[in-house]
Amino acid sequence: MAAQTDTLLRYRPWRGTPRGPLYASTALARASLKLLFRQRLMWGLFALALLVFFGFFFCQYLLVLISNLLDTESVRFASLPVTVRSIKRFFAPLELDGTAHTFGNFIWYQGYVLVIVLALAGSVLVGNDFAHGSLPFYLSKPIGRWHYLLGKCLAIGVVINLLTTAPAMILWVEAGVLSDWQSYYLDHFTLLLGIIGYGATLTVVLSLLTVATAVLVRRTVPMAMIWMGLFVLLPMLSRWLVETFKDERWRLFDLWNNLYLCGLFCLNADPATIRPQPQPAYWEAWLATAAVVAACVLYLRKRIQAVEIVQ
Amino acid sequence: MSTETPLLLFEQVSKWYGSVLALNQVTLELTGGITGLVGANGAGKSTLLRMANGQLKPTLGQVSVRGTDAWDWKARRLVGYCPDIDAFYEDMSGRRFVWVMARLCGYTRAESKRRTEAVLERVGMSERADRKLRGYSKGMRQRIKLAQALVHDPELLILDEPLSGIDPIGRQELLELFQALAAQGKCLLISSHELESLEKLTNHVVIMARGRIVAVGTLQQIREMLDDRPVSVRIDVDRPREVARLLLALSEVIAVDVAPKLADGGEGIVVKARNPKRFFELFGRLVVEHQLEVRRLEPLDESAHAILGYLLGGSGKT
Repeated sequence: MAAQTDTLLRYRPWRGTPRGPLYASTALARASLKLLFRQRLMWGLFALALLVFFGFFFCQYLLVLISNLLDTESVRFASLPVTVRSIKRFFAPLELDGTAHTFGNFIWYQGYVLVIVLALAGSVLVGNDFAHGSLPFYLSKPIGRWHYLLGKCLAIGVVINLLTTAPAMILWVEAGVLSDWQSYYLDHFTLLLGIIGYGATLTVVLSLLTVATAVLVRRTVPMAMIWMGLFVLLPMLSRWLVETFKDERWRLFDLWNNLYLCGLFCLNADPATIRPQPQPAYWEAWLATAAVVAACVLYLRKRIQAVEIVQ
Repeated sequence: MSTETPLLLFEQVSKWYGSVLALNQVTLELTGGITGLVGANGAGKSTLLRMANGQLKPTLGQVSVRGTDAWDWKARRLVGYCPDIDAFYEDMSGRRFVWVMARLCGYTRAESKRRTEAVLERVGMSERADRKLRGYSKGMRQRIKLAQALVHDPELLILDEPLSGIDPIGRQELLELFQALAAQGKCLLISSHELESLEKLTNHVVIMARGRIVAVGTLQQIREMLDDRPVSVRIDVDRPREVARLLLALSEVIAVDVAPKLADGGEGIVVKARNPKRFFELFGRLVVEHQLEVRRLEPLDESAHAILGYLLGGSGKT
């Protein structure tokens, strides 16, 4: 005779319908992020990025703290007296005054850590799938190729925003708290939107570029070399070309500078205040960035048409 | 979509890799049961399986799963694929890997967990699934691959070398699992080099050579189609030398071996005949006329190896 619990504890089969492939992209992004956060090197790089953030965070606070002092007065650092004028001069290039350049500069400096993080993330998240041949497992599930790429881009986008947009927003909140917060938040609300716009631009461009380069070279070391080429050699080359030919358009070779200009456009910064001068116009930077995005999309489209067996 | 639509349909499918023709005008229809896919290396088996799974796009023709283009992600709701490679994220546990695969199919967390546990139990991995994948043996990897292919309960299962690296006991367990799945109404397309195992599992095979399907059907049907090919038949009778003399008088008999080395060590004669169908007709008459007592009559080369050997012009080893 059946026990009463047999009827009570019966398993009821799932009656739902599976969600679409966009949902699968988010699941893929979550799984990718977990894999990424298992890497010890990644935590070391995050710590480095955190140092940059704390540098901006506490320096912004310090400058407000000493703003009431006379320039000739001094404060003690490690028992050594340092004049207020010297401190202000030292931090002047960072423009830690809650303006567009504060956030622009912060993201610029975070870029040094970000490119290394992305080189590693690209090879771990995408390169390994191609190099080890695990792609067929994902593509055998009910998702399209673009959904796979979207999942990977989402994971990379989260990393980008964790390192740039989120801390920049904290700096914006801090800048408001350190001044007349009501008027700051009202008057500089567009700066918050600008930070989000800058973050969105970085997310789209860098996630596509990361995936495209990871698909191309797959391994960590070649990936790091390509990124160093893009973000170290090309800027050096562009600076040399600008100085040689006296034409600021050569700076368009520098992708990170283009992204910086796009970001400052979002932050509504005056082009005349951007350093170093001269700089290309905002629209030129947007155009160069759009060209990079288009190149990445076209390359990815070509590569994902098939997982070829015979080369 | 009606269930009368073929589960898997290849229509005049060709695939070029640059100048290499991997598949040449393949037409194939699967509706159910277990089908073995055999052929030599480079015959186009992997290309065919990947196309059935929507991993490759045909250069010409169309591949559809229940009427939906196999390239469309919706078709993959009906297909489970167990690839021959075993490259995973080595830091993941087997359980986590199958769970992620279930999530990719669009299931909720709870349902993914339930399905993961169910399939792990089914492939005999539920006790060992918490170990990291890098520590798995080849057989355990095969089981995990099978589990991820089964997790969304597909109608069509495409298995590329599923028995490779599995010990004899595990192999028997998996063969039973495949038969149970087929009994549930699933359609299984299994590519394997291990023809003995495949023969135990199914009698229905697709034989490929040089990018073409050279034969489809049961091993017996394929053998019957090869009428112009000689067949070897073992006959156990009381008076072998006399029967040999009678057989040599038949027009269809090419040769008779009265002292063959048989695998089971038994005694009998082996006849090599031209046309199997006509030979068996003539032999039947001979038995009746001379009242021969035939203890055993067995075609020796209806095995997959032998048929493959005929079709591929070699030993039949893939």
